[in-house]
Amino acid sequence: MADEEDGNEYRWETGYEKTWEAIKEDDDGMLEASVAEIIQRAKRKRQAERRPNTRLGMMRHLYIILDSSEAMTDQDLKPTRQLCTAKLLEGFVEEYFDQNPISQMGIIVTRNKRAELVCELAGNGRKHVDIIKQISQGPCAGEPSLQNSLELALSSLRLLPGHASREVLVVMGSLTTCDPHDINVTIQKLKAEGVRCSVIGLAAEVKVCRQLSKETGGLYSVILDDCHFRDLLLQQVEPPPAARTQDCSLVRMGFPHHSNGTESSDASSASSNNPMSFCMCHLDVESKVDSTKLGAAGHLCPQCGSKYCELPVECRACGLTLVSAPHLARSYHHLFPVDNFLEIDAKENQQPRCFGCRRKFVELDKHAYKCGACSQIFCLDCDIFVHDTLHSCPGCTSSAKNH
Amino acid sequence: MAAMADEVETSLLVIVVDLHTRQRYLRDQPSLLMHVLDSVITLANMHLMLKTKNKVAIVGCNASNSEFLFCDADAIQPQPGQSGQSTAVRQSDGQYEIFAHLETTVKQNIKDFMQDEQSTFFEDKDCESLIAGALTLALCYINRINKEKSAGENLNSRLLILTGCAGGASQHMAYMNVFFTAQKQNIVMDVCSLEYELGLLQQGCDITGGLFLKIPQLQGLLQYLLWVFLPEPPIRKKLVLPPPARVDYRAACFCHRTLIDIGFVCSICLSIFCKFSPICTTCNTVFKPPGSLLPKKKKKQIKNVC
Repeated sequence: MADEEDGNEYRWETGYEKTWEAIKEDDDGMLEASVAEIIQRAKRKRQAERRPNTRLGMMRHLYIILDSSEAMTDQDLKPTRQLCTAKLLEGFVEEYFDQNPISQMGIIVTRNKRAELVCELAGNGRKHVDIIKQISQGPCAGEPSLQNSLELALSSLRLLPGHASREVLVVMGSLTTCDPHDINVTIQKLKAEGVRCSVIGLAAEVKVCRQLSKETGGLYSVILDDCHFRDLLLQQVEPPPAARTQDCSLVRMGFPHHSNGTESSDASSASSNNPMSFCMCHLDVESKVDSTKLGAAGHLCPQCGSKYCELPVECRACGLTLVSAPHLARSYHHLFPVDNFLEIDAKENQQPRCFGCRRKFVELDKHAYKCGACSQIFCLDCDIFVHDTLHSCPGCTSSAKNH
Repeated sequence: MAAMADEVETSLLVIVVDLHTRQRYLRDQPSLLMHVLDSVITLANMHLMLKTKNKVAIVGCNASNSEFLFCDADAIQPQPGQSGQSTAVRQSDGQYEIFAHLETTVKQNIKDFMQDEQSTFFEDKDCESLIAGALTLALCYINRINKEKSAGENLNSRLLILTGCAGGASQHMAYMNVFFTAQKQNIVMDVCSLEYELGLLQQGCDITGGLFLKIPQLQGLLQYLLWVFLPEPPIRKKLVLPPPARVDYRAACFCHRTLIDIGFVCSICLSIFCKFSPICTTCNTVFKPPGSLLPKKKKKQIKNVC
């Protein structure tokens, strides 16, 4: 879809495309090989789109604006748009925090021409999943207001320090929006603040949404079905290129000690003999399930000594961002991605087995994949696994020549 | 109950063996290599013995290379019609064929592997093997076995690393990628260190929920392997195992390599510095001077109001 949009051309304006000609029968009159190839292409397409050497917005601050208007009760997604969206968003939240551990996310719900902030920007995915579950049980009523929700997101995002990447993701089921003023003014404000707005439409293309994402440098797409919806959401997991307005700065961060209670010979000065204490993250939670958070184990803020049971978190007492070294390390693969493998014809391939998983190449494999750096040959599954999950090439890491 | 009977629990154990010839115990007494290898092979066979469907793979690595020593490509291929015809696998001494096959294959492959090393041998002072590379291979392999399993099968995979090397800093990023991939795929990573306390691998064990053990004496290696690393992770809760080591998650700054409590992180490339510097040494970004403390305070005030 994306490539059609670039030329500002609609699908029906392009030439007649004979999709069935891409499928060819093999000698036995079977389609298997052809179909397998189409699937392979689709799998690789996503990695090919990545562009190296772009400055990324690593510290992301994302607001999800979720439509809870009457349009979300439609049943074109099963069981309803609202439940399906909630289910997919839960997966998205987990993936987002997995891939962007020092980022934050907030949630805004819009219904009845109003916008409501249901979750402040925060860095703990579990809380978001709970809130999304609650929203999916809540009512869907009235019309959404795109402008109100954008203004609400902007009011919070504009206060962030300059190095933060500011983003908004709108999930819009309705084809209309009920706004108090001219929305173009809001769009210009968002653009000036460097907020990147992406929109996922559940129904059909809407001009104002396209305008919004185009002006602010985001993506706009309309879903085809729930699988496509999930793909579109997962597109948002990768950190986007940094906005031009984004500053670079050194951010002060704390790396807390973990005191696990049993050992009192802790180097941390704050508590010499680790008394039992409550952690700061569960202080305000009404004591229901989490009331057992009293204990000696926890991470102590190196600046003020407040205790937290989970990282990363922003210290509530002194405002210091607390992270652990692996959290930062987890983001490194965005910065140093594995170069795409070259696709070579199966006939040129001399190796009988894939270097990574030791699978024998069979006739069904039309292509093999070669790492440009270490010249090892991989199968498609390994190619995708290496680029999507592992983020380091087995050939390059397991041979000393490339070090 | 019927559902439980249908579900087949199998376990894939991938052992990564460090074959670096400059490990201290090997330099002192090269014959110990056979002792270590025998222990590893025994562990592998014991694992296969626990359940008929259990699988095992062994990856070897040294400073210049890492390679599979045993995987399903080496396994005995059942040949219909001509049972007992395959040359390598014949029962001897009443030993189960698969065990004998594993032993001969691994020993043969190690021989090839070590000979390869000698030809490409080069001098390096700090003994460091490409364990991270071996782990990436293992993860690719596990990924495939996972995809190939049949529908009702429940495959638990885990990794075991045996090493007598100390280093690891130069492969830091590859290690981190491996740890997070393993965590994501629910693969437990255990480490049996023959010589040193390895900070980086300890982090990996902690992240994936595995055990780290530095064995007190090499003579008892097999016992440690069988007692600590043979039981599956769910069973381990019921055993009295060595307590988990305290893992230091503090970061080392890129400028002096010292561990720090509070540091500065570059917002572009996430490099860590122990004090403010105007230019990032990693990505050459020019930073604004630390007047940036002011907006931070502002933000806090507003947040309280909201």
